[in-house]
Amino acid sequence: MTAHFSPRLVLPPWRAMRITVIAELTQPSRYVPQLTMLVTQLALTWWLWRALYAKVTESAGLNVSQATSYALLGVLFLQFKSVDRSSNGDAMDQLMLDGTIAYWFTRPLPARRWYLIRMCGDLGYGGAWALLGYVVCRAIGAIAGPPTWAAGGAALATLALGLVITYYLQAIVDLMCFWSTINDSAVMAVQLASSLLSGAFAPLWFFPGWFQRADGFLPFESTLNTPLSLYVGRLPVSALGTQLAIQAAWCAALAVFTWWLWRRACARVTILGG
Amino acid sequence: MRITVATAVHWTRGFLQGWRVALRISGANFRARAAYRGDFVTALAMGLAWQASVLVFVTVLLTRFPGLGGWTSGGVLLIVAIRLLAHGANVMVFHPLYLVPKLMQQGALDGYLIRPMPVYRQILLYTFPLSGVGDALSAVLLFAFALTRVHLHWTPLMALYLIAAVIGGMFLEGAVQTAVSIIAFWRTMPLAVFMWFDRMIATFGNYPFSIFPLAARVVLTGVLPIAFIAYLPAAVLTGRAASTGVPVWLAYASPAVGPLLYILARYAWYRALTRYESVGG
Repeated sequence: MTAHFSPRLVLPPWRAMRITVIAELTQPSRYVPQLTMLVTQLALTWWLWRALYAKVTESAGLNVSQATSYALLGVLFLQFKSVDRSSNGDAMDQLMLDGTIAYWFTRPLPARRWYLIRMCGDLGYGGAWALLGYVVCRAIGAIAGPPTWAAGGAALATLALGLVITYYLQAIVDLMCFWSTINDSAVMAVQLASSLLSGAFAPLWFFPGWFQRADGFLPFESTLNTPLSLYVGRLPVSALGTQLAIQAAWCAALAVFTWWLWRRACARVTILGG
Repeated sequence: MRITVATAVHWTRGFLQGWRVALRISGANFRARAAYRGDFVTALAMGLAWQASVLVFVTVLLTRFPGLGGWTSGGVLLIVAIRLLAHGANVMVFHPLYLVPKLMQQGALDGYLIRPMPVYRQILLYTFPLSGVGDALSAVLLFAFALTRVHLHWTPLMALYLIAAVIGGMFLEGAVQTAVSIIAFWRTMPLAVFMWFDRMIATFGNYPFSIFPLAARVVLTGVLPIAFIAYLPAAVLTGRAASTGVPVWLAYASPAVGPLLYILARYAWYRALTRYESVGG
């Protein structure tokens, strides 16, 4: 199904980004746990890394300030993916099981555009939490600033592309529902892979060389490790060009793959319940 | 009430019958999960891999650093292993409690109220917790690995204490989940509330409490008693009970805390159930 182009229809659909914000902020039982979880995760991470460095000044090329900042920024990065759609019955597998996925194909815009708009809302809402956490952590000195303005800019540029890769990875998981109906395990798999292989559990610099080399062939490292390593100064700014090229290559490959998946998915929509 | 042989036999028959039904329902649930083959295999693998990631994280850090909070790397691994064993057992039994908010929203609990089986048990039998199998397997592997690093002189008493600690930890997590699910009787509750408690336990339960400031130690021992799941039992097994900051007798009694809290949580749960109002009015 193709949407008829009309300027009147271009902007209004993007207002759907607000759905996430409205859904999340209307109930304290949604944002209060998120706030407390963020605070406790940040506190634990700070205590943990300070305790680990109690008898060591440098490890894996990172000093205590760099390692703590990296780990705290890793916690903040995870906020981008913190929106819980399943509580609203709005997760992809629920839409498939309820049959409400049908509405995606009756709206005056393509399903993949609708998906993009909603995901932008999710990432924007999660990003607001991350930004809030960053400002507070910087204010209390828990996270150190980047060594130079150039490093900060490089980190921001790679973060932007890292989020694009994150979007495509999530889209692939969600699109799997068109074939498997249930994708709980796939969601877990991507969560695990993206957390472990991106450096969210622990900075990748602490992992053995073989692990880092193998990880270099996957897209996850580009989402988190690259921007954070540039931010803390573990990667020099001179490496920015190479890193951007790698990220751009992953973005292009994943974009082509998801485009192909969308085409296949749209051709085989199954509405359960008849 | 006078207990006679006849009432005892009647009660025992009812108890065994209840278990038979529970096992048959679990078998049916298992077959239902196996119907989605891709999801079945992935769920098993992911349960295993997810907990293995904890092992990777801890071992990576402990090979880079000499220890944590005055504990050796072997001691820290023992804490992680006990917590994961307790968590694996907990997932196998109590995982469906996460579905209570969903059952409330759908009004499915109404049907449970008229069936000849306790409501709480019906919820526990809602689905087969496949990921729990992977969790339990990875916990056993991690524990075997921890044993090679911790160098303890095991005695039968210590082994019994360990088993009691794992069961106690399982019930403690179950008590928290049972208590949290009560909120769903009163208001719409997102999964995030459950996940918050789950992550609190997963986040703070894996490390020696000596790395936390005093206020956090007090909260994690007296308010949300995560210390009793793995930290205190590990301290007892490694001979560090005196340096935990809690009375030594309490550290030794930590396996009993979980079952006691669970009994209280179950009581509170059934009290809350009497106030349940269907979403249909």
